Amino acid sequence: MLFVQIVLLIDIYNSVYLVKSRSDLKILVIIPAYNEQVSISMVVKSVNQSLPEADIIVINDGSKDSTLSVAAGSGAKVISLPYNLGIGAAVQTGFMIAHNGKYDVAVQVDGDGQHDPQEIGVLLDHLLNSDSDVVIGSRYLINLGYVTPIARLLGIRILAKYISILCKKRLTDTTSGFRASNRRAIQVCASSYPSDYPEPESLVTFNKIGINTSEVPVSMNQRYGGKSSITPFWSAYYMIKVILAVTILSLRRAPNLEDKTNDF
Amino acid sequence: MISDRLTLFVIVAALGLLILVLEMVRRRALAEKYSLLWLGLAVIILVLAVARPALDRIAPVLGIYYAPSALFVTGFVGLLVILLYFSAVITQLTRRSRTAAQHIGILTERIEQIESKIKRDSDPK
Repeated sequence: MLFVQIVLLIDIYNSVYLVKSRSDLKILVIIPAYNEQVSISMVVKSVNQSLPEADIIVINDGSKDSTLSVAAGSGAKVISLPYNLGIGAAVQTGFMIAHNGKYDVAVQVDGDGQHDPQEIGVLLDHLLNSDSDVVIGSRYLINLGYVTPIARLLGIRILAKYISILCKKRLTDTTSGFRASNRRAIQVCASSYPSDYPEPESLVTFNKIGINTSEVPVSMNQRYGGKSSITPFWSAYYMIKVILAVTILSLRRAPNLEDKTNDF
Repeated sequence: MISDRLTLFVIVAALGLLILVLEMVRRRALAEKYSLLWLGLAVIILVLAVARPALDRIAPVLGIYYAPSALFVTGFVGLLVILLYFSAVITQLTRRSRTAAQHIGILTERIEQIESKIKRDSDPK
């Protein structure tokens, strides 16, 4: 009797603690890349170094440079889109693969090297030890030394404030593409992911369909190579466009989550 | 019945549009479902232009006191509807081509993997 109880206790212990350990999880790291031949190899290698158990997939979004061959040479699995679809659609392609491959966690890391792959562990730990479905690496939650040009910082602050109000929760880095998502969020992102301003827009969608998000502080590097999609000059313009897009989105019905990925 | 030159011009233009659209559909340069709005607009304008007495009565109701202007208003509203419809069609096509491109990307990688696996398996070492 006692023996059975002990076995039972061990079972419970296993199911509660051990299953939640990182090594049992199937993790997919999604790296969207558009003209990132300078940085992509470094990004893949350092992801592989800090998370050797994870599968890495580079989504080459119709690059015009040699991103494809460099990424393939770095040992990652590469999906090449036939023409440039934009970051949102590229990331969604990664989520489709994560969903089809029944991955437990999908981590997004930008191909330009601004996210530090060593910090993926921080995202993962928080994802496993909280009720969040999506954990976002924030540059602004606490100051870890990331320097942002003044104009852009102002835009980011206003945007964060606005989206915080829309989502009724405090968000500090709404444009961060450094995220970890669990199965529930993977399923949502695979079937419906915004394409114009995916990072801020997806936050509003998450809020709408009850996907829990939370932020953890990360440091992030200054860009390694290539060009940012947001130059300082366009910050204000970008912010206004995003605010408009997000406002319209918040008035829209929650997306219909039909499964577009079943055919694979 | 055709009282002024303007009405005559409108009738000729509407007939021209009607014939052009029908011809394009016949040559398969225009799909039927995208031609219907054009045909509808051409026919409405044609009818209004030919049936001048009716137009003279309808126009004042809309606050238009120079009846032929009502023809242009009709044409303008019709064009707006057509443009809006085509914007919606473009949106849908964009979404579909995006999904298609994503599937092409995923499937291409899969084929490459399968091919290299077959090559490896059939390679007599």
